[in-house]
Amino acid sequence: MTDPAPNPAIAVGAATDDRAARSTRTRKRFAAERRFRFYGLAAVLTAFGFLILLLSTVIGNAIPAFTYNYAQLPVELTNEKLTPENAAEFDFRKTVHAAQLSLFPDISDRAGRRLVRGIFSSGTPIVVRGEVAANTDWIGTRQIIPVPVSDDADLYLKGLVDTDLPESQRNISDAEIALVDQLVERGLIERQFNTIFFTNGASREPEMAGIMGALIGSLLTLSITLLLSAPIGVLAAIYLEEFAPKNRLTDFIEVNINNLAAVPSIVFGLLGLAVFLNFMEFPRSAPLVGGMVLALMTLPTVIIASRAALRAVPPSIREAALGIGASRIQTVFHHVLPLAMPGILTGTIIGMAGALGETAPLLMIGMVAFVVDLPAAVTDPATVLPVQIYMWADFPEIGFQQKTAAAIVILLLFLIAMNAIAVWLRSRFERRW
Amino acid sequence: MKTLLKTSASALVLAGAMATATAAQARDQIQIVGSSTVFPFSTAVAERFGQNTSFGTPVVESTGSGGGMKLFCAGVGEQTPDITNASRRIKAKEFKQCAENGVTPVEVKVGFDGIVLGSAKGGIELNLTRADIYGALAKNIEKDGKVVANDAVTWADVNSGLPAVKIEVLGPPPTSGTRDAFVELVMEKACAEAVEAKDEDLCTEIREDGAFIEAGENDNLIVQKLEANPNAVGIFGYSFLDQNSAKLRGANVDGNEPTFENIAAGDYPISRSLFFYVKKEHVGVIPGIEEFVAEFTDEDTWGPDGYLADKGLIPLPDADRDAIASDAAALKPLAM
Amino acid sequence: MMVALALIALATIAYFTARSRSVALAGGDASTLHSRPVYHGFYAFFWVLLPALAIWLVASRIADWYISSSLSERFSAVIESLSGPQAGAFINDAMTLASGGRIGFPDDDKIAAGEFVAGLQSAAFWLVAALVIGVALAGFFYAYSRIEPRKRTRQAVERVVRYALIACSVVAVLTTIGIVFSLIFESVRFFGRVSVFDFLFGYHWSPQSAFEGAGASTADDNSRVFGAIPLFAGTLLITFIAMCVAAPIGLMAAIYLSDYASAGFRKIAKPVLEILAGVPTVVYGFFAALTVAPAIRGWGEVIGLTVSSESALAAGLVMGIMIIPFVSSLSDDVINAVPQSLRDGSAGLGATKSETIRKVVLPAALPGIVSALLLAVSRAIGETMIVVMAAGLAANLTINPLEAVTTVTVQIVTLLVGDQEFDSAKTLAAFALGLVLFIITLALNVVALRVVQKYKEQYD
Repeated sequence: MTDPAPNPAIAVGAATDDRAARSTRTRKRFAAERRFRFYGLAAVLTAFGFLILLLSTVIGNAIPAFTYNYAQLPVELTNEKLTPENAAEFDFRKTVHAAQLSLFPDISDRAGRRLVRGIFSSGTPIVVRGEVAANTDWIGTRQIIPVPVSDDADLYLKGLVDTDLPESQRNISDAEIALVDQLVERGLIERQFNTIFFTNGASREPEMAGIMGALIGSLLTLSITLLLSAPIGVLAAIYLEEFAPKNRLTDFIEVNINNLAAVPSIVFGLLGLAVFLNFMEFPRSAPLVGGMVLALMTLPTVIIASRAALRAVPPSIREAALGIGASRIQTVFHHVLPLAMPGILTGTIIGMAGALGETAPLLMIGMVAFVVDLPAAVTDPATVLPVQIYMWADFPEIGFQQKTAAAIVILLLFLIAMNAIAVWLRSRFERRW
Repeated sequence: MKTLLKTSASALVLAGAMATATAAQARDQIQIVGSSTVFPFSTAVAERFGQNTSFGTPVVESTGSGGGMKLFCAGVGEQTPDITNASRRIKAKEFKQCAENGVTPVEVKVGFDGIVLGSAKGGIELNLTRADIYGALAKNIEKDGKVVANDAVTWADVNSGLPAVKIEVLGPPPTSGTRDAFVELVMEKACAEAVEAKDEDLCTEIREDGAFIEAGENDNLIVQKLEANPNAVGIFGYSFLDQNSAKLRGANVDGNEPTFENIAAGDYPISRSLFFYVKKEHVGVIPGIEEFVAEFTDEDTWGPDGYLADKGLIPLPDADRDAIASDAAALKPLAM
Repeated sequence: MMVALALIALATIAYFTARSRSVALAGGDASTLHSRPVYHGFYAFFWVLLPALAIWLVASRIADWYISSSLSERFSAVIESLSGPQAGAFINDAMTLASGGRIGFPDDDKIAAGEFVAGLQSAAFWLVAALVIGVALAGFFYAYSRIEPRKRTRQAVERVVRYALIACSVVAVLTTIGIVFSLIFESVRFFGRVSVFDFLFGYHWSPQSAFEGAGASTADDNSRVFGAIPLFAGTLLITFIAMCVAAPIGLMAAIYLSDYASAGFRKIAKPVLEILAGVPTVVYGFFAALTVAPAIRGWGEVIGLTVSSESALAAGLVMGIMIIPFVSSLSDDVINAVPQSLRDGSAGLGATKSETIRKVVLPAALPGIVSALLLAVSRAIGETMIVVMAAGLAANLTINPLEAVTTVTVQIVTLLVGDQEFDSAKTLAAFALGLVLFIITLALNVVALRVVQKYKEQYD
């Protein structure tokens, strides 16, 4: 196409030249073809490369957080005030401190006791309480309970502390290291899968912090979002695509919806603050409000995807249905919608995935919150995964940096799973007309 | 169509039911909002409070001091927060707003936050005075009686005793309380000595030509950026220096090293007070407020050996702690 | 809740009775009906549900109002003895006790009030329930009596469905209106202090120098420091860099996937690319600030360039990566929509595949691609987290990608979550910026729509 067909009048005179020229030209064109094809492949591979780079950076940081070092703590559960009934509220601090000291019988001074306490997590009494409450028959006996060591001791055991540095520049002192080493020699330290990370809510101690609360919060928020944005979005798309007259008003609505898709998400947070919190007086920090704000935010995505899916159903289907006497509503709901469903579902899931990863709008409606108790209802205070990541990233303790990376990996897993479902739906039901 | 209608109908009913259910429920845990600087301390207290008492664990939000004050002073009632954290004192305007809406704040000063100038280990080493900092960061300086733009490029341009390294300071944005405190404690102090004409702008404005880089509120990010750039100096809270002592070094200011002891003793000049404000009207309405205040002002919490000190809070002097704790327990309203 | 269940049960019963009634009326032969039996069923269903729901909403509001007013009347002595919030808490606690909840500070008065409210509430509940069920039954009998074989119930039902559809599309419009309003109020207050002209065309952004307090000079001083041009320039610069990355890679990837790749490769590659769009922006922010920015700085120093540690380049690059899938999947759809016959025709004339794509497919798909690119641009402009973490806040007016710049969204976030008072000019500026951003994306979208409408070719 680039080269005009050779003029026959010239071609007659110089047949051999022409053939040579033609073959060079063909070669050139084929080379251009190969180059073009290579550019395309290169583009795809570059994008893949970015993805791999991104994922490997994140996962590399996250791996240490999935295991944790536990110390085997012999606890005397012989306090006479401890009964099976009050085990869940009992204050185990004294019991635990005694147990910690019993590991180091030669330490008796006050500073030494502080030192011993320092190598265990300050959440140890809570861990012990949970264990005892679950096994009330332990009461009155001596039990070996695995408890988390402190975050600094854990970093040391994982080899993430540079012991060559002078003591004042480390968060763990030589004396503490000596105590930890002693425990290791006695075989009392065990590196286990970090269950606390998956079962606990938020905490200010890195070793006690978990993502369960944020996960439940995300789940509650997303169900509200899904419940609102999916029906409203699909019905709106049906109206706009199938029924709305083509006029300035519908043009306006169309621009409007495209525009909403591009409004910075923090603006939706401002809207939520004004409408849901100040005007409708819903509680702050609640997944209900978060879900509604995110629903407004994902609505345009759902509408646009659903419209595209509806548009892809060929007019012949509609004409056939109308031809045999179906009403327009019957045509749409009985024939067009079922055929467009895979596309609609894909769009909805992708919209949901977007909502799952969103932080900025939730900033305004109070979901950037420290919530220890696991939320149980949509009106309980809660936070969500990406916000949890954002908050952990801001805490000074070094232990939180791994937690941040680990939480990112969990979030990515969810997103990839949701995308995979969308892709599966699409390939399973995709139709080419 | 049938299923679709059914789903939308049930969604409607569900939404309606939820809306009515929320209206009736009373809040039984404390709600705290406010400064992101106090957030790490407030959350630590909230967590212990939840573990060691029968009250629900308070919900702590990080909204910034200004946003927190706005919510706090918006009025009384369950919809509004009970406590707001602040990295600065309440402003007269905010106090007036509170009073207009029937809110009586009780002020509790909890401790100090040292503001340090840190750089990466093995990077630039600085021994500064506040006049040096002012000379390096002020937007306009006075030279021979005339106000001119600051054109110092390296630290040596400011003070020949300092290394000839390009001035690169990562610091908080103008909306941040850390920035206000830094300006007040360093720039204005040094400026008052250096400048004759009392022009406020001259003292408070910080360079915008690249020597000072506004780096957002996330102090961890600043720490990591410093590691990547050994010639840069960062301005951030003391707790980040404390936690990252393996990687960072704090610059001496006026001959004092930014250590826990120096800040607590008041030798290190750049530190500011942290506060929280309790809504007196909510005491007796929301359960646990008095107990929370008592937990926060307990010696095991905010004392020199308390757990907040481990988190990087610099305790108040002993006498101040006693006085403030008894005022807080009596819920003495703030007078302005 | 009980009422809701009863209503749904009643409506379902109505649906089935009406449906069988219509069949019975038709003598068992549904084909003689004007509308299919289902529509008669739904006709009754709606007649039961909709009026009853409306009555329910109104009646329960009235009941609530009546309960709280009689509570304050009955316990006026107690309430007057309490201070404002305590009185509010008294009423709240009484309500909580009445519904069986737990309260923080119970006392005798509250318990008595709770019992009083509980008595009223149960009376009100039965009254409202009776009213609602009555209306529902009335609706049912009305609908039931109107059923006859020639009754055009389908039209009636479809009218309801159509209104429901319209209501759903109105939600999107309401959202826009809500956004505009929540922005405009605060923006107006801001523009009371800073003139619109100075804000839009001033070239000096430095909110640190903003003056507070009254005084004639205030407005002038603030006008000097709230010039938003550097922010727009920074936004444009970062967006430009992002598009330099995303447009060629996204477009070439789309072309390769739609015209060259085997079906198997396409099946894997497309979703993998889309993962890039699904990664939360917080993650990209970390990636940009901690991996990309130091790397760029390092390379810059190797070749002797001074690179700021929050260069526009790093933020733009990472943002470009993020929007690759937007460009590629939107363009992919558009390229696929170009009919095969055009490609076949071009191949028939002897063109190679790349020639076909460059000379035939792309021109045909151009309007769609342009609109896809414009959508990607508006996405990039609105992106927040990446720039918050990687681009810094220095409002430099520069086109050097190695320097630090700031964007509109970054300023919105930092101005809003800072420690300043909420009605200071600094915070209000955030709303004005939000409004401007909204208008810019709106304009981009209008242009995108016009492009598609004007140059779209119909091939079917």
